[in-house]
This record gives sequence, structure tokens and C-alpha cells, in this order.
Amino acid sequence: MDLVAQIVINTLQIGSVYVLFALGLTLIFGVMKIVNFAHGEFFALAALVVASLMPILAASLGLPHWADFLIALTAATGAVIVLGTLTYWIGFERYLRDLVGSFILSVGLILFLQGVLVEVFTATPRPIEPIVPGTITILGGRITIQRLLVLGLAVAFTAILYMLLQKTKLGKALRAVAEDREAAMLQGIRYRRISFYGWLIGVVMAGLAGALIAPLTVSQPAIGGDYLIKAFIIIIIGGLGSIPGAIFGALLVAFIESLFGYFYDLTMATIVMFVLVMIFLLVRPQGLMGHVER
Amino acid sequence: MKRVRGAIASILILAGAAGNAVAQPKDTIVLGVSVPLSGAAASWGIGTDWAAQQAAKRINETGGIKVGDKTYKVEVRSVDNKYTAGDAMKTAETLISRDGVRIITQSVGTAPAKAIQALTEREGILMFTSAWGRSVKGPKFPMTFTIINTPDEVLAPIYATVKQRHPEAKTVLLLNPNDASGQDTAKDSKKYWEAAGIKVIDSLFFERSTTEFQPIATKIGAQKPDIVDLGGTPPANAGTVLKELNVQGWKGIKVIGAGTGSDVLVRTGGAAADGTYMGLAADFDGPTATEVQRNLNAEAKKVLKESLNVIHMGGYDGVMAAKAGIEAAGSLDTKKIAEVLPKTIFETSYGKSTFGSKAVYGSPQQLLIPIVVTQIQNGKTVEVVRILPDELKQRLAK
Repeated sequence: MDLVAQIVINTLQIGSVYVLFALGLTLIFGVMKIVNFAHGEFFALAALVVASLMPILAASLGLPHWADFLIALTAATGAVIVLGTLTYWIGFERYLRDLVGSFILSVGLILFLQGVLVEVFTATPRPIEPIVPGTITILGGRITIQRLLVLGLAVAFTAILYMLLQKTKLGKALRAVAEDREAAMLQGIRYRRISFYGWLIGVVMAGLAGALIAPLTVSQPAIGGDYLIKAFIIIIIGGLGSIPGAIFGALLVAFIESLFGYFYDLTMATIVMFVLVMIFLLVRPQGLMGHVER
Repeated sequence: MKRVRGAIASILILAGAAGNAVAQPKDTIVLGVSVPLSGAAASWGIGTDWAAQQAAKRINETGGIKVGDKTYKVEVRSVDNKYTAGDAMKTAETLISRDGVRIITQSVGTAPAKAIQALTEREGILMFTSAWGRSVKGPKFPMTFTIINTPDEVLAPIYATVKQRHPEAKTVLLLNPNDASGQDTAKDSKKYWEAAGIKVIDSLFFERSTTEFQPIATKIGAQKPDIVDLGGTPPANAGTVLKELNVQGWKGIKVIGAGTGSDVLVRTGGAAADGTYMGLAADFDGPTATEVQRNLNAEAKKVLKESLNVIHMGGYDGVMAAKAGIEAAGSLDTKKIAEVLPKTIFETSYGKSTFGSKAVYGSPQQLLIPIVVTQIQNGKTVEVVRILPDELKQRLAK
């Protein structure tokens, strides 16, 4: 085993899911100026839908594993869109740009959704069969083909989001609203509609991250908690509301986890991350790539 | 003034309603169960809760608990301790103050059990536990009884079995959760591995919320231990670690000293879990299982879609121990029950048993049941060693 290659591979495979998760969180903040503390529940919902559906599909349809996964991924995304739409219409629409109100709402939503997820899916951990078996060696570092597939899909989803934000009318509107809401509205951009789209894209990113992690881990309703904490670290380091910041922050956090997890332990890795967060909050509160709010 | 009166009336009505909600029939004994019903350790809690409910059902169907000329029904109330000390304390307070529970028939996890113990010992509440750590036992804790085998019973036989089957093994690496349960387990494992002549090359810990185990697996793989002992790692996490170790190309001997949930372990770890030795898993379908265990296991597989393990069975045995203690004491006074329990021989899922091991712990608080070492072979739990404690043999022979 080549140690450097293995740490780089570990960083990429851990970081790929963190990127998707954190991108959603930072996009929602950028557009709506709220922090969605219930982001982990959208992640958990998608993971649980995939983990619950895969065995049923495998037993009933007799399709290849990858086809079952694509169906489950679509269903999970659908479930997240439905939940996202409901939570936006019932709650978040009333708390746009209201940090305190949205904080209380999203914390309440965590408790509510946790209860619902435990009732619907039970708390039993749900492992699933690998979609693609096998392990390969790249430059002396080892990785499962399944992890490599997830890494590829995460890169693809991130690239799609990036293109959407850069090249489409919707993306430009989302960026305009994030940059200066009043100026965007003066240009005829409908803020509430764009906020809704931003919210949906954000929670779908969390859902995609959850769906991708399901075949690699053991899904259970509380799975989103650890990712949410990491995502906050990522967006504080990268800059709240910054897309490139979220990508860089996610890879940095994954690198710290891989490096310190190897040379010390994961507890030390977490301590290092929090020390880094404290330094950023003291020295550069807007993060590496965020903007100062005026 | 009217408003104040109205508010007081509302509070009284609500208090009355709350009181009614928890009021118990006088002929029912409410037993508490504190287990993880969510999170990675949920598979321990869900099965334990189910087994405790089955014991209560069986007692109620066969005449209830007799105290003098009075007969009581039994009701089991379970709370989710999330396998954390904080939640265990909070939910135990609910059980005691809201539900009036005087006997906790099962608390799973050393950290949760230690948290609850502070309350139960002070309040004179009887607690049966499957806590793995030695620190919950001793003369300082007269109200606490352990109902599954723990390190001092299990580790020497399982490590001796591994040593005998793999004489070439010289080194072991320990991995445990970073809390009281894991730290106690690591300490005991180190002591018993060294006693078995195996060198402990490292002892690692992970936070229970960990979802990504690649860095740990990379570190373990790089140290090339002959044996990896996952100690008190919950089955879902243990399966993930074994899978990641497999990716790293590590092919050594796998041991889970406090290994219980073989079904979850196999589902999570797949082929990587094959060959794993476990100290707390049992084949309750096998020829050495009792009829009670076989029936419970058959029912559990239908209802829970999972075989029972030793911790789950502790849920059943805790309720049975409570019944035996109450009937032997002829009273609901928990201090009297605690006094008579070590002198009482009663029916458990393993057959007749009693509490003992005063020589080890300083007071007779350990349920004397068979010590079983199992191994996962082709996805199935296979019993490889079974030892009946000498003290139990002597007590039953009297």
C-alpha cells in the first residue's frame, strides 16, 4: 500500500459526499439567507428510501443491481422533492431571510422528521448489497469499484450544479439573488419563486448525497447528524454561501479526517477541525471564499 | 384575578390529565427497560425490548407474579437511551418519576448503565443490566445485577479459543467506541490478550457517530496485526470496519469480544465478516439452545427479521429475574428483593440459574449462565465452545 495514494483516495471518497451535502446547505443560505439545520433529515430520507427499496426491487424485478439502484435513486430524489416542497410551502416560505425564525423552524423540523423517519423506516440499521463488487488499486492505494462509482457520480452532480449556476437563466437568477436581492428584484427576478428553486436544488443535493452513501454505509434515521456537523465546519471554512468554498472546504475536511485519522485517530481529526473553525471565526469569519455582509 | 384563577385551574386540569395518563392499575407492576432504540446500536435495543415484552406476556399468561395472596400483572415500558449517558439519565428519570418504575429489568450499554446507576442506587431502585464494563459491579452497587456474561467471564475463553485455533498469531490490535463502554472493554481486552500471550500493538477508539471508517481501516491495515479485536463495537459499525479492512487487503483473524448481532454483522460486512469469533453471540437455533430460546428465536425471526443474541435474551431474563426476586422476597420492596436474589435459583431462558461470582466482584451480582464462543461460518453463527460455570454446577447440585 502506498500511504500517500491511500490518503488521497480516502480524502476523495469521503470528500465527494461531503461536497454534495455542503453544496446544498450553502446554496440554501446563499439564496434564502437561512441555515437549514434539518438538512441532515433530507439526506437520511434519501438514504433510507434507497436502503429500503433496493432489497424489494432486487427480490421483485430481477434487474441488475445498478438498474435497481437507479430506480431507488430516482424514488429517493422524488421523496426529497415532495418533502422539500411541503416544508417550504408550510414553513420556510414564511421565514425567508429570517435567521432566528428559520433556526427555530428547522430545529423543530429535525425533531419532527426524526420521529417520522423512525416510525416509517424503524431505527434498525439498513445495510444493502454492493451495487458493483470488487476492489481496485490506483497508484498503490486501494478503493472499491463501488466507491469509485459514487465518486464519479458525485463529481458529475457537482459539475451539473456548477453548469446550472453558471450557464442557465435559473442559475444566473439564483446567483443574482444571492449577490443582491433588491437589485435582482429590480431586474424583474421573482425572489420567492427563485428562493423555492434554490431550496429545492439544495435539498435535492442533500438527497443525492444520501442516496449515494446508502450502498456504502449502514443507513438509519440519525445518519444525517454527523454529516450536518461536518457540513457546518465545511461552510465556515469555505465561506457561507460560496459554491467553490464548499467544494474546497469539503475536500479540506476530508483530508484532515484521512490524515489525522491515520496518524492519530478520528477524535483528534475532529478536534483539529474545530480548532480550525475557531481560528477562522476569529481571523476570517467570512471563510476562505465568502463575502463580508455589509 | 380571574385570569390567575383560570391559569391555576388550567394547570390543575393538565396536571390531572397527565396524572391520569400515567396512573397504573394497582394490580400491575411496571418494569422499565432502557435500551438504544435508534442509532447504530438499535439492533441491540429493539430485540431486547421485544424479548422483555415476551417475558411479560408469558408471565401474565401463566398467572402473573404472586406476592403473598396477591397476584400482579406485569407491564414492560421501554425507553430509548440512544446508547448515551445523557439520554439514559433523562429517560430513566422519566421511567422512575412519571411511570413509577421501581425495577429496571434491562439497561443496555456501560455508559448508559453507569449514568442510570447514579440514580437507581441512590433511590433504591433495582437495576438489571447487560453492561459489559466491570465498573458497574461490586459491593458499592448493591442494587445492580448483571444478566449477561461480561469480560471476566467471556474474554479468557474466547481468546484461549482463538489462540488454540491460530497458534501462529502473535499480535492484536484493539478498536472500540470512544466512551465508557469502549474504554472499559479496551482495558479488559488488553489484560486478557496479554494473559493469553498475545501482544497488543495498538488500541484505537472511534466516536459512535462515525460513518466513514476508511482512515481507521487504513491505519489498522498498515500496522498488519495478526488479530483485530473490535471489542464493544456495535454490529453495524463492526461490519463496516471489516468491509473496509477487506478493501485494505487485510486478511487476519477477526474477533469481537463483545460481539453479539451476527445477523446485522453479516448483512453489513458481507463476506468480510466470515470467520469472525464472537463472545456474546449464540446459536439459539442450535442443539444446545433451550426450548424457550428456540421458540423465542423462531418468533423473533418472524417479527424482527433477525435472530436473537445474548443481549436480546437478557431482556427476557431480566424480567424473569425480577419475577423470581419479587416472589422470593414476598414483597415489592426492592432492597429485600436485592437481598434474596443471590440466594434464589430461578428459571431463565438458559434453564435454572442464579446470581453469583462473589469471588470475582466482591458481591454476588453476576447471573451464572453458559459461556458460549461462536464463529461466523458461511454467514451462519456456529457455536465453537460452551462452558458451564463451576459455581452454577455446584449451586444446582446442592
